[in-house]
Amino acid sequence: MTKKLGYLLAGIFFGFVLSRSGASEYNYIHYMFTGEDLKLALLMGTAIVTGAIGMKVLKHFGNKDSGGKEIKISTKPLTKHTAIGGALFGIGWAATGACPGTVLAQVGEGKLLGLFTMLGMMCGTYIYALIVEKADL
Amino acid sequence: MNFLFVELWPWWLGGIGVGLLVPLMYYFLNTALGVSTGYGNLLKIILPKTKLKWLNSEKFRDKFNWRFIFICGMIAGGFLSARTSGMSLTTSQMGIFTEKTSWSLATYIIWFFASGILLGLGARLAGGCTSGHSIHGLATFQKSSLVATVFFLLFGVIATFLIKLLVWGGA
Repeated sequence: MTKKLGYLLAGIFFGFVLSRSGASEYNYIHYMFTGEDLKLALLMGTAIVTGAIGMKVLKHFGNKDSGGKEIKISTKPLTKHTAIGGALFGIGWAATGACPGTVLAQVGEGKLLGLFTMLGMMCGTYIYALIVEKADL
Repeated sequence: MNFLFVELWPWWLGGIGVGLLVPLMYYFLNTALGVSTGYGNLLKIILPKTKLKWLNSEKFRDKFNWRFIFICGMIAGGFLSARTSGMSLTTSQMGIFTEKTSWSLATYIIWFFASGILLGLGARLAGGCTSGHSIHGLATFQKSSLVATVFFLLFGVIATFLIKLLVWGGA
């Protein structure tokens, strides 16, 4: 139960921060891609550095979670679909001004078109499920 | 408090906030930050009887697991932010995109839905999205995340150029 509350709080925090920093705004994404305003790239860069430092700190203190269990870093394999998936994703990111995380903040903010981006993402995920049903990716 | 709840945060504050989630979620929840797999939970909820093996894999056994709770939290977080900063309750605007085009609502819906399909399918093929790959994956120095992020950005730039040229008419 406390864990569920933890996930809820983490989600609220994430959605709030994305929205408060403008990452859920179409223009923020658009101007990063045109190079006119790199705030989003700087935000992502800061997040990566902060996250990396935080992980080093955890490692320094024995790589244990709050309950004393070993922290296991989730690894993502490089496959022959990583690049094509990344390309499709990039096109979708530019076309909608959203990614799977920021679209949730958009929906919470009341951006109607964001809701359709989110439904499209569910549909895209379903298409993936159909593809892996037929072919072993 | 206006600077936290009304004005837009500076990029470094947003970056620190997002970045801290990676170690905090590992420390308190022993969980890797990531969002896009949760769309499988949403599918499983609306299609509980699906026979597709991916949707019946172990990670969706409990469709209301942490990923679903996290998604709900993120929507609530966006809602709170909009309320404290005084945005209107709903809007059919989407920044410069809806300023540069004057389409019918149905056309906008088709555009955003179709592009959303690319995001959903692309995230699954790439093995993650901006959270799981670009933030979590790069903060933990993973090669696949670097490849994915380079392609996210590269094709984002190309698509933006084409949208400006072809959809907005060279605006």
